[in-house]
Amino acid sequence: MNRLCNGIDQHLTTLLNALLAFLVMDVTWQVITRFLLADPSSITEELARFLLIWIGLVGAAQAYRHKMHLGIDLLAQKLNPVQGIWLNRFIHACCLLFAISILIIGGCNLMWLTWTLEQFSPAMHLPMALVYAALPLSGVLICLYAVQFIIDPTAAGVTE
Amino acid sequence: QTEQESINLTLAHGLDNRHPVHLAMVHLDEQLRELSQGTMHITIYPSGQLGSEREVIELLQIGSLAMTKVSASSLEAFVPEMKIFSLPYLFEDNDHFWRVLNSDLGQQLLAAGDRYRVRGLGYYDAGSRSFYATEAPIHAPADLAGKKIRVMNSQSAINMVRAMGGAATPVSWGELYTALQQGVVDGAENNPPSFYLSKHYEVARYYTLDEHTAIPDVMIIGTHVWDALNPQQQAWLKTAMDRSTEYQRALWQQASDEALAAVEAAGVTVIRPDKTLFQTSVKDYLASQSSLLPLMQQIAAEASR
Amino acid sequence: MATMTLVLIVVFFLLLATNVPIAIAIALATLATLLLTIDALPAVTTIAQRVAAGMDSFALLAIPFFILSGYIMGQGGIARRLIDFALAIVGKLPGGLAFVNVIACALFGSISGSAVAATSAIGGFMVPAMEKAGYPRSFSTAVTVTASTTGMLIPPSNILIVYSLASGGVSIAALFIAGYLPGILVALALMVAAALYLKAQGISTRQAIEPVPLMKGIVGALPSLIMIVLVIGGIILGWFTPTEAGAIAVLYSLALAVGLYREIRWADLAGILNKSVSTTAIVMLLIGASAAMSWLLSYATLPQQISEALLAVTENPILILLIINLLLLVIGTFMDMTPAVLIFTPILLPVAESLGLSPLHFGIMMILNLSIGLCTPPVGSVLFVGCSVGKTSIASLIRPMLPLYLAMLVALVLVTLFPSISEWLPAQLGLI
Ligand code: NA
Ligand code: NA
Repeated sequence: MNRLCNGIDQHLTTLLNALLAFLVMDVTWQVITRFLLADPSSITEELARFLLIWIGLVGAAQAYRHKMHLGIDLLAQKLNPVQGIWLNRFIHACCLLFAISILIIGGCNLMWLTWTLEQFSPAMHLPMALVYAALPLSGVLICLYAVQFIIDPTAAGVTE
Repeated sequence: QTEQESINLTLAHGLDNRHPVHLAMVHLDEQLRELSQGTMHITIYPSGQLGSEREVIELLQIGSLAMTKVSASSLEAFVPEMKIFSLPYLFEDNDHFWRVLNSDLGQQLLAAGDRYRVRGLGYYDAGSRSFYATEAPIHAPADLAGKKIRVMNSQSAINMVRAMGGAATPVSWGELYTALQQGVVDGAENNPPSFYLSKHYEVARYYTLDEHTAIPDVMIIGTHVWDALNPQQQAWLKTAMDRSTEYQRALWQQASDEALAAVEAAGVTVIRPDKTLFQTSVKDYLASQSSLLPLMQQIAAEASR
Repeated sequence: MATMTLVLIVVFFLLLATNVPIAIAIALATLATLLLTIDALPAVTTIAQRVAAGMDSFALLAIPFFILSGYIMGQGGIARRLIDFALAIVGKLPGGLAFVNVIACALFGSISGSAVAATSAIGGFMVPAMEKAGYPRSFSTAVTVTASTTGMLIPPSNILIVYSLASGGVSIAALFIAGYLPGILVALALMVAAALYLKAQGISTRQAIEPVPLMKGIVGALPSLIMIVLVIGGIILGWFTPTEAGAIAVLYSLALAVGLYREIRWADLAGILNKSVSTTAIVMLLIGASAAMSWLLSYATLPQQISEALLAVTENPILILLIINLLLLVIGTFMDMTPAVLIFTPILLPVAESLGLSPLHFGIMMILNLSIGLCTPPVGSVLFVGCSVGKTSIASLIRPMLPLYLAMLVALVLVTLFPSISEWLPAQLGLI
């Protein structure tokens, strides 16, 4: 399981790095088209917003695997190792609940609604379902990592 | 037990709480309470606090909000028939406009959203849209040539301005003031209250009352909420909405007149052009809209009544 | 309504106390509360939509850009040259390295959007250097941590962008300019407090870093300082939006670090991009979850109720401002800055406006207030980063922190009582 997670993690890193680099180029292009070419691009703004949603949601799953999300560890410091393991299981069960209910069920329902109701983005005419697809994707990744943390509380979660 | 039977309808919209349309919604709530003897009421969330127009429509479909007010043009994405209102010079005058909205056709359009889980309850007046420009006045369509005109982000709006000879440029409403100021665009188009309240008249000094489109606002309700009401409750809501529309039309006329007076007082040159020139310029464009032709004929038929 | 508030508070604090990630605690508390009034499927779908909608804003794009440029500047030798510049100016004064630390943090803040970036970039070098010169490690870390928060007020600033969104569109350009004087005020107050603390503790220090000649310091830092002019000047002149300025800052800092200073190789970029993605995603998830909770609060008409309750307590504006500030200090202690701004701006701004405060003045006051919270346990991201960079424990920081907290409080009182500290500069530039 750890090998699977590491493999996903590596590809995800490459994807996310590429998306961020692409985002910089997209907004630079927006300045260039308006400033130098005097012919403002009509899609750069919308593309940038959608890229940010993807980076934010999918990146959040990756940050979760690396245990980078902020929490308050005052209680955790006061527990003995066995209690600590159970607290950790509780924490990751909460994350699992969040991922399944809001990201996967909520996200899929949102995708389904916007797909059947034929909603497209105004500038690029992308299906809004594609934009919202980042929600369940992030949810599935968080689920995978959460299950790993719950089964094996010692899983490092850090590959660096 | 009466507490439980009382129905609360949530209504979210993007206007601030001094806008005539918001006041009409307050009136709607009062009328509904009166008709239903207190068993139904509406909670209004103004100023976009529950989301942008598109997001709130989605929330209606999801089922967490009951009602919202949108422009017919933003309803296009959900209810394609609403494209009809973005066509220029459909109506001879305000009477014709309201005769169409109150006719069977107008009511059919309200119901057309059912398959997208939203249904129209009624219309509000949003006046007629006209061009304004920063540098040079627009007296005739020829003056639009080469001018970058801001349009709403809708294909119909883009096509119409192109047909008249302008370079249609979609810019978001919030960025328009600076876009006009910096010359990103040379002009835009809107109704008098919006031209006034947005302060665009500070930078756009020429307002040409060519009144090319009359796009109504539409009050919509999620079908899941509508279907859960019994026929009596639906009737109350319909009647309350009709009264609210009546009330809003008077308020709107007043707001529109005041806005025109205010921009004139602020030194804006208000031009009353020969509208036939503009009408001629879109003849071919209108003829090319074959899919909307039957609807256009129905509307024209209402004029002669 | 009372049940909803109770459920929200109980679930939220229960999850927070058990070390559940804050963003997820916010989302789950929102869900638990929404389930009281809405069916399960619409409830989860609504929250999913609000999370995505909360992230869907062009203004927010400046955040990944200023995070990315911050990492490039930290690793690419730009932070080092700003420290040299500060050394050349105040390095020779007694206790001068503390001043160098504060000024370097403020300078770094003037080209970077996040306080955490300043803490790691400046602290990583200054804390060891100050230790060699005889300053206690805890004191140096405390100075870095508090001084880094000046970058929240001094533009560019990610949190001012978030505030602009939460307030319903206060001009980002005006907010940026409004932050300069309060930011400088905090820096000055911190320098005074640091000098007094060193004197009171009888800490003697010596010069350990080789002094930098004035001209060398200025010339070395000039390309980095030009970035201030480019980024902020470009925004004021309307050449580009703050978001676009962020992209320009990335390209400019990249050109400096890779091309001119040659301290970053192209191969290092993957690591920098990845760090930026993670930091961005952490902030974005907080923003998305806060947007959902904020929606819920509006839906439950809580903002109106709190505003009315606050105004019912007293009509004395000074007293209400005092209450608001105390409330924000408590919020800042327990909450990260981004959700605090997103959730409480819609609640408190109307109260402040009814007292005659401009949204601009209120925003600066709020950010300065919450900056103090960034340096306090239990939730204080800048404090945590400072402790890890300075290799010190939170407990050892408390003592040297006290005079520095006090300095920030003094600045807060001044900024609260004198609106012109925030409003004068933007008014001079015709931005308000
Ligand atoms: Na800054
Ligand atoms: Na804190």
